[in-house]
Amino acid sequence: MRAAAAALLQTIQSWPIAAAVRGDLAGSEWLFPIIETLHVLALTLMFGSIAMLDLRLLGFGRRSGAVSALARELLPWTWTAWCAAAALGTLLFISRAESYVHNFQFRMKLLCMAVAFLNMLIFQFGAFRQVASWDHGRPPAAARLAGMLSLMLWLGVVFFGRWVGFTS
Amino acid sequence: MLRSLADWLAATPPSVALQARPWTSATSESVHIVALSVVFFSAILINSRLLGIGRAGRSISQLTQELTPWIWRGLGILLLTGAVQIMAEPVRVLVNPVFWAKMVLLLAVVLMTAGFTRAVRRNAAQWDAAASRPAGAAAFAWCSTLLWVAIVVCGRMIVYVSSAFL
Repeated sequence: MRAAAAALLQTIQSWPIAAAVRGDLAGSEWLFPIIETLHVLALTLMFGSIAMLDLRLLGFGRRSGAVSALARELLPWTWTAWCAAAALGTLLFISRAESYVHNFQFRMKLLCMAVAFLNMLIFQFGAFRQVASWDHGRPPAAARLAGMLSLMLWLGVVFFGRWVGFTS
Repeated sequence: MLRSLADWLAATPPSVALQARPWTSATSESVHIVALSVVFFSAILINSRLLGIGRAGRSISQLTQELTPWIWRGLGILLLTGAVQIMAEPVRVLVNPVFWAKMVLLLAVVLMTAGFTRAVRRNAAQWDAAASRPAGAAAFAWCSTLLWVAIVVCGRMIVYVSSAFL
């Protein structure tokens, strides 16, 4: 099992696209910095839109406007930016797959993201279903907790992500 | 001259302390990215509404009123953590044309945003309806977006370009 996983990672790393991102191919020296920069641009849009909704759930800023309207306004940004950040992040990952897989910060980043998704699902199918009853007022405890957890977990994703760059 | 200033800074106690603790740089950069997210997304949200891109939600005046305080607060944190970065690596940052380009672009976008905010505050109704919006609105939105993107790109490139000038 372990050997198979290691072999798979080595195969991925030997792909030409991985070599190109790594800068190993002639003329591809700037590919990693470029993809990394686009990854940062995408992640700032993603985190910014998530934080804006989380802060509304927590009662920061203005309470004008319904939570459901804010969610409708922001979620297309969140999903588009997340998909872009994930696709670009995957390119960065395959360039040094073996080293990233064993990197503690990288593992923590993925763990935070997985828990953040779980938290989002619980919110979506839990407190958010009755949003009509608290749309304009103070969100219920379950919604505030979801907002707090989401903010903390995505902060974790950003922090661990930055640390991956320092430790790998 | 910049080189001697950077060398002098690098010998000061705060800089020496930061250089000895690489984790402070990483932490400060993480906070920098979080504050950047708030500022960058706020600006993009306002600009996209000016251009009629994306799902309609709050009006221009509402967005501006709600988000500009976050933009200024975020910028404060960006300047603070940016200063930590300079102190942690004075030569790499200060002896680097990309850093100075970033500062010029930043100054331009800050002045533009301040002017825009003032204009919207003076005449909210005119800005809210797409038909009566001043002619320069779309131009402002594109310029501001391009400037912010260029600022983020410069920020990342400081690290990669610095070695070429040492």
